[in-house]
Amino acid sequence: MRAISRRGFLELAGVGATTAVIGPLHASAASKSLTVLHESSFIPPFDEYIKTTLAEAYEKETGVKVVYEVTAVGSLPTRISTIAETDTGADITMNGLLQVIQFGEKYLDVTDLCKEIGDKNGGWYDAGREAVLVDGEWKAVPFCNIGQLMNWRTDWFAEVGVKTFPQTWEELYEVGKKLKANDHPFGFELGHGFGDNHGWLYPLLWSYGGAEVASDGKTVVIDSNETARAVDFARKFFRDTMFEDVLGWTDVSNNKAWMAEQISCTNNAESILWFAKKNFPEIAKVTDQAQNPAGPRGRFHLLDSISHSIFNFSPVKEEAVAFMRWLMDPKQLGGWYAVADSYYQPLLHGYDNAPMWQVEPRNIPYRDAMTTAHLPGWPAPASRQMAESVAKYIVVDMFAKACAGASTKDVIKNAELQLKEIYRAV
Amino acid sequence: MSVRSELIVAASPPARRTASHASWADRQSVFSWLMMAPPLLFLGALVGYPFCYGILLSLQDRPVAHPGTFVGLKNFAANFNDPIFWRVALNTFVYTGAATLLKMVGGLALALAMNQRFPLKNLVRALLLLPFIVPTVLSTVAWMWILDPAFSVLNWVLVLVGVPKPGPSWLGNPILAMVSIIVINTWRGLPFYGITLLAGLQTVPPELYEAATIDGASGWQRFRYVTLPLLQPIILIVTLFSVIFTFADFQLVYVLTHGGPQNATQLFATYAFDIAMGAGQLGLGASVALTMLPALALLIVALTIYLRRG
Repeated sequence: MRAISRRGFLELAGVGATTAVIGPLHASAASKSLTVLHESSFIPPFDEYIKTTLAEAYEKETGVKVVYEVTAVGSLPTRISTIAETDTGADITMNGLLQVIQFGEKYLDVTDLCKEIGDKNGGWYDAGREAVLVDGEWKAVPFCNIGQLMNWRTDWFAEVGVKTFPQTWEELYEVGKKLKANDHPFGFELGHGFGDNHGWLYPLLWSYGGAEVASDGKTVVIDSNETARAVDFARKFFRDTMFEDVLGWTDVSNNKAWMAEQISCTNNAESILWFAKKNFPEIAKVTDQAQNPAGPRGRFHLLDSISHSIFNFSPVKEEAVAFMRWLMDPKQLGGWYAVADSYYQPLLHGYDNAPMWQVEPRNIPYRDAMTTAHLPGWPAPASRQMAESVAKYIVVDMFAKACAGASTKDVIKNAELQLKEIYRAV
Repeated sequence: MSVRSELIVAASPPARRTASHASWADRQSVFSWLMMAPPLLFLGALVGYPFCYGILLSLQDRPVAHPGTFVGLKNFAANFNDPIFWRVALNTFVYTGAATLLKMVGGLALALAMNQRFPLKNLVRALLLLPFIVPTVLSTVAWMWILDPAFSVLNWVLVLVGVPKPGPSWLGNPILAMVSIIVINTWRGLPFYGITLLAGLQTVPPELYEAATIDGASGWQRFRYVTLPLLQPIILIVTLFSVIFTFADFQLVYVLTHGGPQNATQLFATYAFDIAMGAGQLGLGASVALTMLPALALLIVALTIYLRRG
């Protein structure tokens, strides 16, 4: 073997490094394509359908290659942050919860496109507007809501004489006491997950008339009699219907407990029934779903929407707009929704009676819940401060601390202190 | 290279320049700097620059995807007024202190045991490294099942020996949740301590033990006056590494509890991540992350002084 000199080594290393940097740049300029960033779906056929059927059809039709890039559940904010900070990466991104407001300045105004899509498809739900409107501009095309509703065991509820799901939180509490006595406790997440905690705690707060911040988006109003009543209810609801472990649950926990037949009622997306039908058909037979119970001020749900935005620095903005227009056409969109049954609930009224709702009638409450769904922090408009409150689990921990034994007064004061610090500069 | 080609090279002026360039590059001082340059650039780009940028961010109101505004120490003041921040600080110190102590004591015991003669010694030593080798996320998911109330093998055993059903709530109770993450961190870090200290033990000359035995030293005295002083430099290095890794731990907590219940297991790294990436407040998140720095530096300096004096 020929020995390499020191100079030779350095030259070789230099050439190698240069090739490594220049090579991919040259290669990427070769063909026209656009990249769509999406969080991995709980319904695997959903990702497969766009990757294969839709992307291939679009390339055949227009010659533009669509790269569907999937990121793990929970990692979407990090990925969008990186792209928005570096002005490079994907051309279109999925948004969850409050991401439209966080990244709105990096997104293209798609008001006209959304109006066109809405006009063609029976109009948008108000929740669709709430999810994507930033200073009067549509910064994303609403795609769907992933509702968080009540999942309940019909067989165990029947054992205590209940055939239809209770209409109010108090009625549900009374049923829960009996079921816990029968060794079938409830299981509602009170830990630091991504969605199943917010999914029932914000609606509970609203249904008792409580709120974090007033509709002006500035005044902290968490310290109220209404909040206190909601907290008091949550404490007894936890104590008399659940078990200690729910205080540490993350989003996967209630699904595991459901399939282990450990709990008789929880709050989750449709995926719990979808998964049971695939893997635990006997449990699926006795699983039903219902809207959240009502409180003294009405019935509410969490708006856990998905939307798609086009980055305003994308070199293929026009192609991205054209792709979104094509994707949102019923010919494409209907098939994409249908492949996931109704896990993704369309925010367009044109789909209110679509065949997908007949595949599994037990999912219909998820459609009906969209008229009472709001983003966390409602009635205040979505804001970066609200995103901070959600990230710090202020409402979740207010309830969780009360359930763990702290006084109502202390937990509300603590939440108020944190919210005032967050909203200080507004 | 043949004689003929050497002559040709020597005869041409450009080749002379190349030759002088070659001898310049071959000089010891130049070559060593050329070899040092890539790692230095690497460290500068991936450690130095992010560190300086982190300091800059911490002094700004810097929402993600927006230009920053200089706010001085306002972010640090906001942390000072944030009750979660103080909880996080306490959690991080308790977690680091308890886990490091357990790993140190357990690791030393493990090394002493592994230094004995027994059948299949090499196989056992290799197996001991498993917790350290398995990716943290993977082993944490396994622990998630072990601590799960419905499926917990731990609770199953406890119920068998008479603990009332369903057994302790390992991740729902704030104190038990902290105990759980300390135990898991210890389980994961113990092999690192054990194997490193074992390597140290094997460098202790046997003559010293023989001399101590002849002088009438007991087993404890041989350990206290021979083994421990000779292992001290290695203990120092391993502890420093362990404190740094444990203080900045992220994956275990993020996967297992995400800081819950009620922030009982929230650490600096997970809290900084939630604020920076979840809330999109890069400046505030950077200020939380940077708070680790002086605390960590103080810990390391104190430990170094203490162990050197000892």
